[in-house]
Amino acid sequence: MTDIPVIYFLWVSAFLFATGLSILLLKKNTIFVLMGIELILNAANLNLVAFSKNDPSLQGLYLSIFVLVVGVCEMAIALAIVLQVYRNYRAIEVDQFKSEY
Amino acid sequence: MSPLVLAFLVLALLTCGSALSMLWTKNLLHAALAMFLTMLGLAGLYVLAYADVLAVAHLLVYVGGVLILILFGIMLTNQTDPATGKNHLMTRESARLLPISIGLSFFLGLFWLFTKGPWIHNLPVTGESKLREVGLGLLTEYAFPFELAGVFLLIALIGATFVAKSHD
Repeated sequence: MTDIPVIYFLWVSAFLFATGLSILLLKKNTIFVLMGIELILNAANLNLVAFSKNDPSLQGLYLSIFVLVVGVCEMAIALAIVLQVYRNYRAIEVDQFKSEY
Repeated sequence: MSPLVLAFLVLALLTCGSALSMLWTKNLLHAALAMFLTMLGLAGLYVLAYADVLAVAHLLVYVGGVLILILFGIMLTNQTDPATGKNHLMTRESARLLPISIGLSFFLGLFWLFTKGPWIHNLPVTGESKLREVGLGLLTEYAFPFELAGVFLLIALIGATFVAKSHD
């Protein structure tokens, strides 16, 4: 059975990265922007996994496991911050955060 | 076409299609649902890349954890329209042309780079499941970073609950 070439994974990850970047730039809702960041993180993860397929020491796979953990931590903290921002401004659109001082 | 490549194509189509619908929709809840489908497809792609440990962890973490967090975020920050009494899940966005063209140019650039790169095509394309190696490595060679990741996760969760409580 033939295996899947590495280049296919790289194409998918390039697509995911571009989509995440577009979401990051396009949307004004903070939760939407966070979802775009998650897509970018996962595109990087897919690259690491695809290349570690050919690496006997598997360093890319280990790094991607730690990237997963850091991504979850980032999401938890970021949503807590979004909650506080909503309490202060009553809005979570990125263009509505203005200093009151 | 081998069945493996066919499975890859289906999963890649699921991942890319739902990512695109995330980009397209303005409804926050639809985007969360599309993100769920993207994560499912990505877990399948990880399985096809012989990273089954990571696929299971990814499913547990993203579908079980991050998506629930996002849904709670949506529910806790929604704004009820005082006139009609309906919830606003539709989000605003900036002009579509510039962000999408930036994303498209990034995609085309990366596509060109990956396709033209001479360092990619001569890689061997065989593999097998790395479950045993990863399990051994996480408990021997990478035991310290593994423990550190656990402590980091604990710190992040305590910090998140501290930040999210009301500071009146």
